[in-house]
Amino acid sequence: MKELERRWQLCAARARLAPARSETVPLGFAARVLARGLPATDAGLEAIWERLAIRWLAALVGVLVICAALELPNLHGAPVLKPGIENTVSQLVWKL
Amino acid sequence: MAEGEFDLAGCLASVLQHDDEAARALVERLYPQVIRIARGHLPQRTTEQDLAQEIFAKLFSRLQDYEPRQSVPFEHWVSRLAVRTCLDALRAERRRPELRWGDLPEDQAAWLEFMVADESTPPDTDAASAREIVDLLLSQLKPEDRLVITWLDLEQKSVREISQLTGWSSPLVKVRAFRARRKLRKLAAMFRERHLYERA
Repeated sequence: MKELERRWQLCAARARLAPARSETVPLGFAARVLARGLPATDAGLEAIWERLAIRWLAALVGVLVICAALELPNLHGAPVLKPGIENTVSQLVWKL
Repeated sequence: MAEGEFDLAGCLASVLQHDDEAARALVERLYPQVIRIARGHLPQRTTEQDLAQEIFAKLFSRLQDYEPRQSVPFEHWVSRLAVRTCLDALRAERRRPELRWGDLPEDQAAWLEFMVADESTPPDTDAASAREIVDLLLSQLKPEDRLVITWLDLEQKSVREISQLTGWSSPLVKVRAFRARRKLRKLAAMFRERHLYERA
């Protein structure tokens, strides 16, 4: 397969000799680009929203972590987690 | 504005103040760099002007995010943005152009024959046909692999330069080059088999 690599490099070397194409700005190109708008206020607003959203998300994650940390000691044997609702419902149904 | 006198920082500041003249000067300054990248990574159904325009539109919309840093000069930032835009356009194309031996003009077919068959001497054709067959073969690769091989073999950039221009690490550039060459070998083997079959 070294042979293929050699042949590829020969072809690439010949391709490099291809005349360079023009790199001057075509007439009206800059105008067309500018017509699409410079940094617009929409983009600015978008960026502000993005930044705010990221901050809000970070703040919410922080609150969640704090809540979880506060609740962690109560997790073991916490009566809150016992399903009391089943009894209430069954009692109500029995009375009916 | 003369080449050596271009005040990039001042120009960028003016563009951010919505100065059309400064924006025009920036387009003229960056156009050669942008059009080279667009030409090297052009999807089949897009013109280079459209792609360059898309790159500039992105550039202006994100200019406020650019922070002058020692490690990433403005030209590298522009290059990375241009590369990302081209790769997105190439990925959006999804279907790569099919390469059929029979559809190739004689000059290009001669090069393909030289590469995959038993021809011992390179064909005596103009450089443009070699360039076209190279582009056609590269269009069969994944966009990222195509970019690496174009810059390594056609523009003779170093791995370090490619790493700076794309933001990819040097090992990643090397891995992509390795993968691309392996894929090119597979392509060549496939064409060789087809060619032998057609001859038989």
